[in-house]
Amino acid sequence: MIRRDIPRWLFWLLAIGGVAVLLGAYEMLAARATRTNPLQTTIPSFEMLVKGLNKIFQPQGEPENPKSPMFWVDMRATLSRLIIGMGIGVAASVVVGVLMGAYRWIEAPLFLSFKFLSKIPQIAMLSIYFNIFETGEVLFTSLVALGIFFSMTQSIYLAVRQDVSDEAINKAYTLGASEFEILYEVIWKQILPKIIDNIRLQTGPAIIFLLAAEMAVANAGLGYQIRMQSRILNMSIVFVYLAILAFIGLIVEWGLDTLRQKLCPWCVD
Amino acid sequence: MSEYALEIKSLSHVFGSFRVLDNIDLQVLPGQIVAVVGPSGCGKSTLLKAILGTHPPTHGEILTDGMPVRGPNRNVGIVYQNYALYDFLTAEKNVSFGLKMDETSMWMRFLATRKYFAKRRDHLKKSLDFLNVVGLSEACGKYPHEMSGGMKQRVAVAQAFIMRPKIVLLDEPFGALDEAMREDLQMMLLRFYQENLIAKREGRRPEYTILMVTHELNEAIYVADRVIGLSRFHTQGEQGAAIVYDRPCPVFRPDDPRDFSKFVEQREELRRAVFDENYIKDRNQYVTFWKELGTLANSVAGI
Repeated sequence: MIRRDIPRWLFWLLAIGGVAVLLGAYEMLAARATRTNPLQTTIPSFEMLVKGLNKIFQPQGEPENPKSPMFWVDMRATLSRLIIGMGIGVAASVVVGVLMGAYRWIEAPLFLSFKFLSKIPQIAMLSIYFNIFETGEVLFTSLVALGIFFSMTQSIYLAVRQDVSDEAINKAYTLGASEFEILYEVIWKQILPKIIDNIRLQTGPAIIFLLAAEMAVANAGLGYQIRMQSRILNMSIVFVYLAILAFIGLIVEWGLDTLRQKLCPWCVD
Repeated sequence: MSEYALEIKSLSHVFGSFRVLDNIDLQVLPGQIVAVVGPSGCGKSTLLKAILGTHPPTHGEILTDGMPVRGPNRNVGIVYQNYALYDFLTAEKNVSFGLKMDETSMWMRFLATRKYFAKRRDHLKKSLDFLNVVGLSEACGKYPHEMSGGMKQRVAVAQAFIMRPKIVLLDEPFGALDEAMREDLQMMLLRFYQENLIAKREGRRPEYTILMVTHELNEAIYVADRVIGLSRFHTQGEQGAAIVYDRPCPVFRPDDPRDFSKFVEQREELRRAVFDENYIKDRNQYVTFWKELGTLANSVAGI
């Protein structure tokens, strides 16, 4: 029967079993490829992945003049671009989205162009951003910020229109609130869960823009390293980097979920 | 301070070529509970929105406590049928929301000064006291999604009255509630009315002045001390809805038995004067409140 519940222990047993089957199938595939060609690196075994993991944490350069391990250099580059870009993009989206939702005279000149721009896949805009910002750190942060700006502004604007009723606003006026107080004490607080959800939803696309740009023009970062290592078929490092990206995604999701629960205990799904 | 809590002078409202309200004149004294009834689409909500200040009238003027209404403001409280509570605040904080807006500034809140926390403690205490008045002290820590419809409506009533506005508008306040909840909340309004009577006897200005839109005739007569009927069924009906009924109602105490048979006659008169489209009469035929006021005052004094 559809949606019939199963015991909790069985659910988790099947969940762990699913992961085990996936890992087992991968190891079998890797063993088969190695039997055919013992020097292959396209489907690395777990042993090779562990070696790859060790390698990315090894100091680089000459032993007498060691440099930071590859992992930290790339992580530092990617995370700083992502955090700064997302910070700017989210802040701008919140300000413009809230104002568009609150004031018709701001909404009117912006909503058509924002609706149009939010429909353009931002990855397709990369070539334009490359021309506008040229290369350098400004390029990466700008494209992350602009990549999320239009669609997030659109979502926040709609959240203000739909989640904050006219009654709630009129009532706030009757309770003595000023316009700025309504913007902050009523609108901002009401849509805060939507803002956090939007940040979570936009993190994935933001990472995609950033990796695509890093693959094209960076000289450090996860995207750059994935491209460089895949060119020399060093898949043991590429796969480790992919796993790291998955972990970053999980940590961001967990962090934002926790933040939402802490800041918005009233919000029930 | 004006003699009237609310004064409407020659108010008319036109939507395009459709005249909704025609030449409405109304004065409400402090401490009155006025019920507004009328057929669907007669302009009750338009009148309410005009008094609230969100939809200014095409012609005429509205004054609350002598001050012209230019938009939603502190003088006019509102309780909506859908409660319109702030989802992100507990009952206690919903009720104290207005006090916070009114008595603290954004700077004070951001800087979280000692003065701000002292004020907040005071606000939350007042809020708890008011939740006691509406019989909801046990729910002070609950969020709106954790409360029943009746509880939410009590919070909404407390939220409006704690600000001591000149008049509170109730927009079909009990329409979404079950019968038991309705009765509880009607009792609450009767208790407010009793407090008004005590205040009048003691020479104080009554605190609870209410204009309530309802579609329930029994509720209108039972809870209010004055009923107003808005309707287009009068000799100049093509010019828009007007006040065709304005009479006092019998006053009930909260502990009186709910005996609706006591006002069957008035209910039928109201039904005929306001809702019967075949009964076209002079618009002033049943507008006799001020003439009867002397009698009403005597009956109130008798209580």
